[in-house]
Amino acid sequence: MSGRVTRRRAVLGAFGLAVLGGATRFRTMAAARGLASDTRAGLAFGTTVSLTAAGPDRGELEAALSDGLSAMHAVEREASLFRSDGALPRLNREGRLDGPPPHLAALLAFALDLAAETGGAFDPTVQPLWPLWSRAAKVGERPDPGALTACLARIGWRRVRLTPEAIILDKGTEVTLNALVQGYAADVVMAALRARGIADAFIDTGEFGAAGTHPDGSPWRLGIADPRRKGEIAEVIAPFTGFAATSGDYNMAFSPDFSDHHIYNPATGYSPTGVSSVTVTAPSGLVADGLSTACMVLGRERGGALVAGRQGCAVRFTEKA
Amino acid sequence: MRMSGVQRPGLAALRRLVLALSCLFLADSATQAGELDRAGLARYFPPPLVVGEKDDILPVWPILKQQAGSYEVFAYAFESIDFAPIPGFGGTPPDLLVALAPDGTFRDVKVLSHREPVFLEGLGSEPLFAFVEQYVGLSARQPIRVGRPNARASGASPQTTVDGIAMATASTRTINQSVLASALAVARGKLGFGAANVGLRVEAKADLYEPLGLDALLARGWVRRLTVTRQEAARAFRGTGLEEAGEGAQDDILADLYVALLDVPSIGRNLLGPARFEALMRELGPGNHAVMVLSAGPSDAPENPLGESFVLGSVPERVSVGQGGLVVNARDMAVERRGAGLAEGLPAGDWTILRIDAAAGFDPSVPWMLTDKIVRERGQILSEKITRDFSVETTLPGNLFHRESAQDGPDWTEAWRARLPALVGIAGMVALLVPVLVWQRRLVADARRFPVFRLAFLAVTVAFVGYGAQAQLSIVTLMGLVRAALRTHDFAFLLYDPPSLVLWAFVLGSLVLWGRGTFCGWLCPFGAMQELIAWLGCPLRIQLVVVPPALDQALRKAKYVVLVGLLAATAAGSPAADAMAEVEPFKTAITLSFLRSWPFVAYAVGLLVLNLFVYKGFCRYLCPLGAGLALAGRLRILDWIPRRSECGTPCQLCKVRCRYGAIAADGRIDYPECFQCMDCVTIIHDPGQCVPQVVARRHAKRIVPRPVPAR
Repeated sequence: MSGRVTRRRAVLGAFGLAVLGGATRFRTMAAARGLASDTRAGLAFGTTVSLTAAGPDRGELEAALSDGLSAMHAVEREASLFRSDGALPRLNREGRLDGPPPHLAALLAFALDLAAETGGAFDPTVQPLWPLWSRAAKVGERPDPGALTACLARIGWRRVRLTPEAIILDKGTEVTLNALVQGYAADVVMAALRARGIADAFIDTGEFGAAGTHPDGSPWRLGIADPRRKGEIAEVIAPFTGFAATSGDYNMAFSPDFSDHHIYNPATGYSPTGVSSVTVTAPSGLVADGLSTACMVLGRERGGALVAGRQGCAVRFTEKA
Repeated sequence: MRMSGVQRPGLAALRRLVLALSCLFLADSATQAGELDRAGLARYFPPPLVVGEKDDILPVWPILKQQAGSYEVFAYAFESIDFAPIPGFGGTPPDLLVALAPDGTFRDVKVLSHREPVFLEGLGSEPLFAFVEQYVGLSARQPIRVGRPNARASGASPQTTVDGIAMATASTRTINQSVLASALAVARGKLGFGAANVGLRVEAKADLYEPLGLDALLARGWVRRLTVTRQEAARAFRGTGLEEAGEGAQDDILADLYVALLDVPSIGRNLLGPARFEALMRELGPGNHAVMVLSAGPSDAPENPLGESFVLGSVPERVSVGQGGLVVNARDMAVERRGAGLAEGLPAGDWTILRIDAAAGFDPSVPWMLTDKIVRERGQILSEKITRDFSVETTLPGNLFHRESAQDGPDWTEAWRARLPALVGIAGMVALLVPVLVWQRRLVADARRFPVFRLAFLAVTVAFVGYGAQAQLSIVTLMGLVRAALRTHDFAFLLYDPPSLVLWAFVLGSLVLWGRGTFCGWLCPFGAMQELIAWLGCPLRIQLVVVPPALDQALRKAKYVVLVGLLAATAAGSPAADAMAEVEPFKTAITLSFLRSWPFVAYAVGLLVLNLFVYKGFCRYLCPLGAGLALAGRLRILDWIPRRSECGTPCQLCKVRCRYGAIAADGRIDYPECFQCMDCVTIIHDPGQCVPQVVARRHAKRIVPRPVPAR
């Protein structure tokens, strides 16, 4: 579960692109195939995001990229905690949101289903743990056990009621969808690109989605970061299509040994200790993102079983050293 | 769209006019907002940089750089006009493209548009482009001021000063304000820091001292200790293959640092002893801070950050001071590191005292961190450095410090302080002039000395008001007022030019009492220049051209047409307005002292030559400022130029002698045309010149003059 504020690079993205010498070069190669291609980048979900796509028509391509980015920002406005003016922070402040916007409702419905399916190992209500841990970490300490126990009383996915008319939270409960929102955004962006007839695209919302091939005609490759060696690649998924999400203990670690970090076990209030990172590939970014977080909490055995039950999904674990 | 019914052509024409006018307004208001789109920005930030999507709250564009397949933020780019539309010399704000790095340093500053006359028509835009280049590498965390030209070379701090440009003080100040104010607004919105620390002065209270031992200081948290054991280091380096370094027990201490802010007397005096403390404070200077780091761990261990690799007088590589997530510039003061110094009770070890400059924006009254980097190397041949940070936070009670936000007042107060001599000079001139004009029977009546006074005063007007104080009033100010009233609603630009503002205040007052002539005849540098040139030209015995009365009357009206045209163009937001303002030669002759491209110089010199044939022809026929003042001068309360019943009938002496044609045939003063040269007043008070008095004496008959209002 996560309340991450800055999402560092979990996965290194379409690194084949960097090897080829940057945007200009592959633009030329795409042109040789009769395709226009372009990359747009920006800021969302507290990190950098980017879209790369190719298509036969320059104008349509640019329109598609613009649509993709505005779709991403629509998701951010509804379901991200990074925007204090968004719908989700308002829900957390007021405990109730009438007429929930569609992205938020879809994400929350998925989160509650996954919580039920994992027996609460995935839980969208761990948000109150975040300020407790980040405050303690600032002075190099762990939260006071008493405060942690008090905090756990405010946590539990059954404390959220979702109906088409409203979202209602029990007193003291706060929701985070940060564990899902970037994967979901990749889905939404991909749909926006497809609607404009784009077949070749690579989406980096912090989680990843890819369709078709690289504009130069080669398959997409996804590098998975080494959880302990910053900037190094542990594994490459190639060819890569579909979606991938990674959860790890190193993005927002509270302790130098990575034992305390931004993913919490909702039952204890501490971070799960089994694995250091999980990467899930799936036909949907939302599913990939949700499963990767759940697997961090569930561990290799139970997490593996959860993923095995889903069609088209695969998981890679990295054990803690 | 199909319109039903028939429209009358007159109405349709009117509507077209209104539409056209509103288009003009719209076009202009568009230039008040940022002008660049993605493609425009991409020209300034070419690949491999990528222009991100514009933020949907602030008009800020992230500029991203590709790094190993993903992106990181290189800078935030924005247009200053979106955040700080500070009007320039002519009332139009300059627009600058600013790129601010995530740590608050300027990556780039470029001029997108400006209407600063001094650059457009005088110096050219290159000095302005060079001026804004100076910001690259400076930090928005610090207050930056515009110094004199070459200020940096002559010792001003290069971190907080940019070199000014001669003759462009007001414009460069506006640019500086635009850069800083917009950068702060963006930094506050995007980088999480802001104005709070800029120009902030936090000083430890010097009189607050209590004797405390090291243990007491540690217990209070006023001195902090950072220890790293072998086990902690191993945990931090887990997964790197560098967990183990050397042999020893798990709880061996590898690094042991004592950290203290010395400029607090209760800390520094207790640690250093009184004599060393006083010496340090003298060396440090007010507002600056000193942080001591003492390394009490094994001095030969590679984990000792102040060991062999430490360079005296440098910014240390291995220890750093940070606050609010940003590193504060702290440099070793190079005080003698061994021997005498740190007081009894402190453990032995290497130590450094780091100096933090007041301009660094460091606030010791809120928590700050000292970070120790432990660096280990992996590999034998191509070795790779792996770094882990260990930090300790210091939180000192706020009541140990005085806090003062130095720049609470906006920047214009500085303009006033800096121009104080000019203000005093102008006030002095006014204080001299007013009594002379009020008590006309004294100096004005003195036909021998008054012309000398007048010429001397005019010389001072040219030299001091014009060239010295740069206070030539101009139609540009009126145009700025129109712009401000209609669109920007910001009149602050007036405050940046104090001498002109003071002079304007006096001129408005004198308008209401006496009419336009007080300014036009005494305080306008270009007017004074014409009069002096005419006087110097006397020996040439040039015959003044007699303008036929009908033509003269028509030409007098021309200046009102010019005025209306200028103000209308300004109101409509026409870009031509600034060019039209060039009808006024003041900028060429006074502001830029004829250092300008030749057509402008030819025009100004031409007007001065014309003045030899048609006395003050520009003032009387063309000057839009004079026209504006003449119109406002109709509010004049006093008919203060003395007249006699004989003036006009039968006596025409003053009318004939008036070089401005400001006396009507019936003897009335035409105040809107009167320049208050006082020639006629001198005559009327001179029994030897004033014809009615001469005649009266000759007829040995006492005449009773009509009451004369002047004393």
